[in-house]
Amino acid sequence: MRTIAVLAILALLFGGALMVIDFDAIAQWAATEQRGFQNGMADAIRALRMGQTEALLALFAGAAAYGFFHAVGPGHGKALIGGVGLGTQVSASRLLLLSVASSLAQSLWAIVLVYGGFWILEVSANHMTALAEDFLAPLSYLAIASVGALLVWRGARSLPQATAQHHDADHHHHNHDHHSDHDHSDCGCHAHGPSPSQVAQLSSLRETVALITSIAIRPCTGAIFLLVIAWQMDLHLAGVLAVLVMGLGTASFTGLVAVSSVAARTAALASADNFKAAGVAFAGLQVLTGLLVIWMSLSLLRYTL
Amino acid sequence: MKRTISKSRFWAAVRHVAPVIALTVFTLSSANAVRAHPHVFIDGGVDFHLSENDTLKALRVTWLYDAFETLYMLSSHDMSLTQDGVLSEDDRVALTDRLSNWPDDFDGSAHLTVNGQAVNLAWPSGLDVQIIDGRLRLTFLRGLEPPLPLKDADVEVAFYESTYFFDFSITKTPEVIANKDNCRATVISFEPNSHDPLLKALAKLSREETPTEANVGANFADRIYLRCGQ
Repeated sequence: MRTIAVLAILALLFGGALMVIDFDAIAQWAATEQRGFQNGMADAIRALRMGQTEALLALFAGAAAYGFFHAVGPGHGKALIGGVGLGTQVSASRLLLLSVASSLAQSLWAIVLVYGGFWILEVSANHMTALAEDFLAPLSYLAIASVGALLVWRGARSLPQATAQHHDADHHHHNHDHHSDHDHSDCGCHAHGPSPSQVAQLSSLRETVALITSIAIRPCTGAIFLLVIAWQMDLHLAGVLAVLVMGLGTASFTGLVAVSSVAARTAALASADNFKAAGVAFAGLQVLTGLLVIWMSLSLLRYTL
Repeated sequence: MKRTISKSRFWAAVRHVAPVIALTVFTLSSANAVRAHPHVFIDGGVDFHLSENDTLKALRVTWLYDAFETLYMLSSHDMSLTQDGVLSEDDRVALTDRLSNWPDDFDGSAHLTVNGQAVNLAWPSGLDVQIIDGRLRLTFLRGLEPPLPLKDADVEVAFYESTYFFDFSITKTPEVIANKDNCRATVISFEPNSHDPLLKALAKLSREETPTEANVGANFADRIYLRCGQ
């Protein structure tokens, strides 16, 4: 029953947040801030062009702030990070590391794409941005939707097991399958939640790379524009450094999402009435967040096609 | 052995969950704004060229791009700033040439009505291109053929682009050239409202999409009202 109560509270909070918070105003505010910092970066580039090397600091400050507000605004990276934090058993520090790694990978990919394009393909600035908008964005949303599908599949797979175990435990039957890595020794109450081997811990290299790639594959247009300008204004190194700093700015916000999503999961599971119920709650949470991630990435995809 | 939850633990859980729920909702609700209309923001304004007897000969339109858009535009024309932070004279002339080639669907950004009737304006002429404090400034004329007497007429110029891809704002005080004592220009700025359903719908459009509603930009236009002959 506690599980139902917790889920009901979550639903109420969800609905309440929808009503109380003016999301359009927040999005507009974030967009306005981004434009402000973009112009700050432009002024710094012009000053660098005029030989004022101290403007490098202003460029980095603008880039970091732009990255942060870019992450506050609409975007897919933090939804995915938050979804993984809620829907898997990843630790906070690992997810934090993942958000930094994915943000930096996104910056590096933008650098490879723009500088590589100018250097090797000799494409024009207009072609460069068209490539990111028309080709990489849809690809990235599809990749993220498949991460969502993975969460749903895992949750759905462990859900019947989790409920069955709950039932058994209530009647003190212990004839269900025990998993080889199931450890009873440290807990008298039979932690029959999905075992670590059943749920995503993002422990495998393949999964980690998949997560980072699905975020990094779509470089933000702000970074692309900045690199195009830096290349054209003959400030190649300053452009590279600024875009890496921008990535760290983005990571500082997605990192917040990472930590709070893991905290939320821990809290939600800790308040479930027993560890068996936690198994059900966990599987349900996984399916729910997976569905949210899929929905969001597909709706983004729809607007790019 | 059952684990029960204490009150404090319950509220700790709520406290932890709330921000994430809020963030998720925010992400979902605003996910589409990333590619929202408008895409390019331009400051500027409109001046009035009058001859004797308060006859309107032409509008002079000013566009001022922001610093970032300026650099991006220069880059996409393979141009760079000089050591003085401006364009070389060769580049300036070349850019003027290229930008004078107005696109076929150019709708002018200045929309003139006199006593409620739309007045046709001539194709842009006399384009001037400058970099002012790192911002690209374009000025051009839109002539009236024939010139229009304005005495006691209600003159209105709405400053917008019809598809709202560009968001124009009047930041420059309108000048009435040659006859300023006899005319008074007033600027009424558009006040945006994030709850406007039309703005919300536009926010969902991508760069390539065009709003279905014709002349949608007019809804968000800054306007200048001019009265002569008081």
